[in-house]
Amino acid sequence: MVDWLAFAREAGRGSLESVAIMAAIIFPLMLLMEMARDAQLLDRFSEKVSPVLKVFGMSGEASLPLLVGGVFGLAYGAGVIIESARSGRITWRDLFLVNVFLSLCHSVIEDTALFIALGADPVVILGGRLVLAVVITYLVSRSGWLTSRERGKLKVPVGG
Amino acid sequence: MITVSTVKRGLHKGFYTTWELTKVVVPVYIVVTFLKYTPAMDFIARFCEPAMKILGLPGEASIVLVLGNLLNIYAAIGAISSLHLSAKAITILATMLLISHSLPIESAVSKKTGVSPLLMVGFRLVMSLLAGAALNLLL
Repeated sequence: MVDWLAFAREAGRGSLESVAIMAAIIFPLMLLMEMARDAQLLDRFSEKVSPVLKVFGMSGEASLPLLVGGVFGLAYGAGVIIESARSGRITWRDLFLVNVFLSLCHSVIEDTALFIALGADPVVILGGRLVLAVVITYLVSRSGWLTSRERGKLKVPVGG
Repeated sequence: MITVSTVKRGLHKGFYTTWELTKVVVPVYIVVTFLKYTPAMDFIARFCEPAMKILGLPGEASIVLVLGNLLNIYAAIGAISSLHLSAKAITILATMLLISHSLPIESAVSKKTGVSPLLMVGFRLVMSLLAGAALNLLL
């Protein structure tokens, strides 16, 4: 038989405690992220990142979507990515690689902080994911498969 | 420029995110805790144990992976906090979930940017499983 009293106590106290811990992390984080956004830290930083992207054979245009998605998450990032795709400033190849990188590694601040609060190892969950994303994006960027796909996709299909 | 409206927007986002998280974490926490008080949890745990062993996770952690991938990270967080797992298990789960989560919603974003959603879902699931198995051996 279910011990209803013990269940109610554990469910009530435990769930509220979890929410309280998460809220204590989310508030300062959101304040800092909004400040970073308004100070346009990423726009300045993205110029410095552009040369690094040459390693993946990507153009500098890809650096802002990559940084915005990586730091703030796909919800913010999607706007910038879709806008770049629509305007045609970014090639299908770059866009594909941005998707590969971001699918493995995005929203590194908020999501990582929440898991650290639960007791996960920060070095593993942040460093491990970053290394994985860089290695995989590099491998995909050098693969013959991408080159062959690229030929068939000279135009970026948007809004379909 | 950082102004008063920056702070206002930050606080608003804080409230909004906390509320979104509460709406998911609380029900998930309650349901998972309820399962723990019934034989169902034992059944799920034993059923999934052989597969989860490869990832270095207890059988009941399968619930976390399913919720995180089908719903979102908040749902996974609710389940993790209810299950009281070891630090190693939480690190493995966190890495796996950070790589692969909210698949129905996020593959919609891939689609809009012209990348096959199915390809992305398969890719993320494979990467997530590989990362979990690798961390089990390394940690």
